[in-house]
Amino acid sequence: MLLDENKGTSTIPEFGKIQFEGFCRFIDQGLIEELQNFPKIEDTDQEIESQLFGNKYELAEPLIKERNAVYQSLTYSSELYVPARLIQRNSRKIQKQTVLIGNLPLMNSQGTFVVNGISRIVVNQILRSPGIYYSSEPDQSGITLYTSTIISDWGGRSKLEIDGKTRIWARVSKKRKISIPILLSAMGSNLGEILDNVCYPKIFLSLLTERQEQKEYLRSKKNAILEFYKKLYCVSGDLVFSESLCKELRKKFLQQRCELGKIGRRNPNQKLNLDIPENEIFSLPQDVLAAVDYSIRVKFGMGTLDDMDHLKNRRIRSVADLLQNQFGLALGRLENAVRRTIRRATKRKCLPTPNNLVTSTPLTTTFQDFFGSHPLSQFLDQTNPLTEIVHRRKLSYLGPGGLTGRTASSRIRDIHPSHYGRICPIETSEGMNAGLVASLAIRARIGHCGSLQSPFHKISERSEEEHMVYLSSGEDEYYRIATGNYLALNQGIREEQVTPARYRQEFLAIAWEQIHFRSIFPFQYFSVGVSLIPFLEHNDANRALMGSNMQRQAVPLFQPEKCIVGTGLEGQAAPDSGSAAIATQGGRITYIDAGKITSSVDGDTVGTELVTYQRSNNNTCMHQKPRVRRGEYVKKGQILADGAATVGGELSLGKNILVAHMPWEGYNFEDAILISERLVYEDIYTSFHIERYGIVTCMTSQGPERITKEIPHLDAHLLRHLDGNGLVMLGSWVETGDVLVGKLTPQPAEESLRAPEGRLLQAIFGIQVSSARESCLRVPIGGRGRVIDVRWIHKEENFGDNAEVVHVYIFQKRKIQVGDKVAGRLGNKGIISKILPRQDMPYLQDGTSVDMVLNPLGVLSRMNVGQIFECLPGLAGNLMNRHYRITPFDERYEREASRKPVFPELYGASEQTANPWVFEPNHPGKNRLIDGRTGDTLEQPVTTGKAYMPKLIHQVDDKIHARSSGPYALVTQQPLRGKSKRGGQRVGEMEVWALEGFGVAYILQEMLTLKSDHIGARHEVLGAIITGGPIPRPGTAPESFRLLVRELRSLAPELDHAIIYENDFQIDRKEV
Amino acid sequence: MIRDEISVSTQTPRWRCIGSGADSKRLHYGRFALSPLRKGQASTIGIAMRRALLGEIEGTCITHAKLEKVTHEYSAIIGIEESVHDILINLKEIVLRSDPYGTREASICIVGPRNVTAQDIILPPSVRIIDATQHIASLTKSITFDIRLWIEKDRGYRIQSPKNYQDGIFPIDAVFMPVRNANYSIHSYGNGNDIQEILFLEIWTNGSLAPREALYRASRNLIDLFIPFLRAEEQNIDGMDNQNGSNMPSFSFSNISADMERMEEEVAFKHIFIDQSELPPRVYNCLGRVNIHTLSDLLNYSQEDLMRIGHFGKKSVEQVSEVLQKHFAVDLPKNKFQIH
Repeated sequence: MLLDENKGTSTIPEFGKIQFEGFCRFIDQGLIEELQNFPKIEDTDQEIESQLFGNKYELAEPLIKERNAVYQSLTYSSELYVPARLIQRNSRKIQKQTVLIGNLPLMNSQGTFVVNGISRIVVNQILRSPGIYYSSEPDQSGITLYTSTIISDWGGRSKLEIDGKTRIWARVSKKRKISIPILLSAMGSNLGEILDNVCYPKIFLSLLTERQEQKEYLRSKKNAILEFYKKLYCVSGDLVFSESLCKELRKKFLQQRCELGKIGRRNPNQKLNLDIPENEIFSLPQDVLAAVDYSIRVKFGMGTLDDMDHLKNRRIRSVADLLQNQFGLALGRLENAVRRTIRRATKRKCLPTPNNLVTSTPLTTTFQDFFGSHPLSQFLDQTNPLTEIVHRRKLSYLGPGGLTGRTASSRIRDIHPSHYGRICPIETSEGMNAGLVASLAIRARIGHCGSLQSPFHKISERSEEEHMVYLSSGEDEYYRIATGNYLALNQGIREEQVTPARYRQEFLAIAWEQIHFRSIFPFQYFSVGVSLIPFLEHNDANRALMGSNMQRQAVPLFQPEKCIVGTGLEGQAAPDSGSAAIATQGGRITYIDAGKITSSVDGDTVGTELVTYQRSNNNTCMHQKPRVRRGEYVKKGQILADGAATVGGELSLGKNILVAHMPWEGYNFEDAILISERLVYEDIYTSFHIERYGIVTCMTSQGPERITKEIPHLDAHLLRHLDGNGLVMLGSWVETGDVLVGKLTPQPAEESLRAPEGRLLQAIFGIQVSSARESCLRVPIGGRGRVIDVRWIHKEENFGDNAEVVHVYIFQKRKIQVGDKVAGRLGNKGIISKILPRQDMPYLQDGTSVDMVLNPLGVLSRMNVGQIFECLPGLAGNLMNRHYRITPFDERYEREASRKPVFPELYGASEQTANPWVFEPNHPGKNRLIDGRTGDTLEQPVTTGKAYMPKLIHQVDDKIHARSSGPYALVTQQPLRGKSKRGGQRVGEMEVWALEGFGVAYILQEMLTLKSDHIGARHEVLGAIITGGPIPRPGTAPESFRLLVRELRSLAPELDHAIIYENDFQIDRKEV
Repeated sequence: MIRDEISVSTQTPRWRCIGSGADSKRLHYGRFALSPLRKGQASTIGIAMRRALLGEIEGTCITHAKLEKVTHEYSAIIGIEESVHDILINLKEIVLRSDPYGTREASICIVGPRNVTAQDIILPPSVRIIDATQHIASLTKSITFDIRLWIEKDRGYRIQSPKNYQDGIFPIDAVFMPVRNANYSIHSYGNGNDIQEILFLEIWTNGSLAPREALYRASRNLIDLFIPFLRAEEQNIDGMDNQNGSNMPSFSFSNISADMERMEEEVAFKHIFIDQSELPPRVYNCLGRVNIHTLSDLLNYSQEDLMRIGHFGKKSVEQVSEVLQKHFAVDLPKNKFQIH
């Protein structure tokens, strides 16, 4: 424990490890396991036998590189070959071949899969472990019922209940329950066995004596099965026992409800003190008996109930398990296919080879389906590098076999003491899935059987030496674990010190000598996103949650900047995200340009291709900039090029902005944010966005669609960017409505005949009007930018059609503007409300204009004081050109270690740079600001400093939308919702009142005449629009107007229609 | 009251440069003092000067660049470490100094491999580079790096949309603000009613302008903004002067500035011919007969003088002054007295 003896220090494991380990487990173990389960297949006469040798499988080198797969919208996969043997007994022929089983999508170095050109990720799932669990719940009459639930490997569950009269039931469906003896005998045990193995035979006997007929069932297994079947399916009448009935029961009930699996076997063995071998994956009568025994004990208060939310009762289903399941499924399909082929071959008496027996389609399609549609295979969130990392480390309670967002109770969503060090207590999504999508803590790993483990330092009595131990969630509860926030201040008398420690889900103050373990690391309990928040301990957890979520929404800026105040984890996050280019080998750099870095390693040249202006899944821009110089020697693992949102290998999502917490003319009311023009013209918040627009050419009944430049009836101005092939030219600047790809869809001739102008033309000249309709790809509303790439992809479809897809990539450079969202790391978020010239902003005493004005009222109720603490060292660091890395909750050597250096640093900065205003003793941390418009000193000193603020992906450009007319919902006849559907807002009764009250005469006139029930006027308007003439004024009032007048009259004002002439002010009255 | 003003103004405020320096070629610093000022004046001048320094000073910038064989700015050129966009951003940062207005052309033509810096820009004669070491691009292969640049002088900043540019011309967002930061502080001294103030002005520029020059420009620009008031008042006050029959020395400053203004205008007006304005031909002919061809010729005449020209009535004078007011924002003086 001595300071200089910190041998136990270790590096943080790579953030993507959970994914790689999972995939490796699948490749190394899962594949072989499933392949070995693949049965020998024989035909009915047992003449042909085919077999796979799974342990000698081979994965071929992928045919295409990952980058090309992305480019050509293909799947990055490798072919799986397995040696196969085919024995033909009658001809004594043995054929051995290596057969292609199918394509297996491969995980790339970033822990993701590329499927159809799109990065996808498989999220880890948290499930209840199979096993047996005891709980109590009151029934309707208030009597506590003790139930034990057996959860099978498939997620099915059956319950054993003890009711108030100590009768024991097995609940088979929501309403039906059967007596335990029946279940037991149906499972194959007889009365003698039961009574022998039970601790409380009396209760059992009382169960039996209660109802005479039960004894009968117990005599024979058949009767019991029949009775069981009757109860299960509520079939009445006489049933005859048959083998098929038994089989069905086994398939429907026993397999689904009682298959425990390997992991599930452990649990009853442990809990019920059984000694059943691990490969017995079904629950046996002994299990049920022991479970019943335990229930009785629980009923009498001798057993312990289980906490269902405890992590020890949950397991992680990782990529390995999901892929293995899918692989098993695929092999099942393959097995059927092989059987079919063998059958066919024997019928035709031809000799198959292993190669014709095994087809690759089952595996390929199964995996394609899995990656395409499984809820846990998700579209990789790629807004910034952090988002990718966090997505890889996500743990989801949702998905097949899990919970659903609507039904999950709040207990499940809550934090549990067992999450400590394994699942982050802060980071989760907001809204419907709150608490159901969690994040893995930094140091946690997946142990055997899918349990989550967290490392601790073991403190041994004898020696001072420490070593690291990984403990699963159940295991650490019986040890006293010091939180590690508060280590020895005085090394000599450590024993006298009391430290906060965890023991059996409680926080206690325990003397050091009684401690078994201590945690390794101050933010061991948090996820990556949360541990990037400095001054976390001064923050409300809700805001920290928002902060960590909003960091994931940060857009990579065009000139990123390291944070002045950070936690020290930034340096690990960037390289682990895979966004930066890292030297795979040491060597000397020989050549650099924007697209490539080559280095020579022992005479060989190694090239690293850089990513240049590529689109991410979230339309942000991925771009790598070289960070090394020519002639430099690099080591393995050194950063060669910075990717998006990284600087010098550190994650840098935002900018250090000079903020002042003060109100400014109401422009920062309710979280609005006022910024200086400097952020606009100095490109401080400028980000790149790459939008992809795509179009597919299909085969129609009239022939194929054509991509061409010759589009009839279209303004040449809109077509100006097209090249000879009908594709938009690279580098052209396109705006809304411009044609990107010219496409013609053939149309049946008769249809064009029906159009009046077509008929006219044919009548006069006898020519056929073009038999094609234009179906061009245009830039949608709001889109504009530079065309940087056009990809024309030919896709071989299943049916032999050549579908062609054209993707056009449009690059946008977006400066910050009113309506964009910016946020701090501590959950302080807001929308830009006004952009002021720099001379109008309040300024510091040295003349520097503030860049951003935040509302101080936004701090009080949100309790994110961290933002204040953050900005003060930020200011000091900015002046002294220093960066601070402050570990949150780091009180190992000092109380309030993070808060203490704030003022001293500020004082130091003021001394060092001879700027007395930086630290004024009367109001430390606050400055007297001066209003830039008037030159007056502001009334109160204002907290100013450099805060690190990212710009978020929620930008007005994507959201702003207006509609004059558009689609309506069929049922309600109200406008649709959402920008994507060109939705709108219904102008209802109250809105019309507002217009009436405000007196917008022209709109009202329109609404009461042309747009209302004045049928005649509406027809006239239509005619006028078509002919292009002026819109006529209706002569008479429509009924709706009359109604309005009547309504007004019923309020009793005098209603007259008067015309006042300007010249003589003569009033000319007229009755309405 | 006017007497009082005269007695105070004998102690005219003077400015001094207290300190100056350059942290780097692109960061110049200057500190100036103006004293003595009467109570409250320092603040008036200070805030106005700060705002003028930050917002009103003109600068020179590269506004467009043309690269050959580049389809768009988000592409990489083989043999150059930076992407085209990065090069454009580097060009945006380059600090220039130029005297005249209008668009100038410059170019870079370099064969690699080498680093291209600001000193490699071939500039037109009137434009100067401030920091020759500013980085533009690093060529890593032996390729020719050929860029044509357009340089403009303006104030504020300009964000350009690439909408109307083609053929490899890329607009660069220009920031024409040479003053990086400006600050002022006020120190008062004296006691009782006799409080006087010193105004300290601190100016940081980007090097294209010495702080002192920036101060000069800012005051010029401020004065320019006040000229409309001066003109309007001059007329009234001159009218008053004629009544009082006395000339006031306190207006000497404004007269001087007006003089300078006038000189500058005269140069410009020499090149403007009156036939470009929308005068009726009759008026034009009349003026031509007395050899008034350019605007500066015309401005030598007062309204009274014009009336003396043959066939030139009151209506014609009105027309002329209306046109002058409309197109050039100049008034013809009523009588000869006002022309010096």
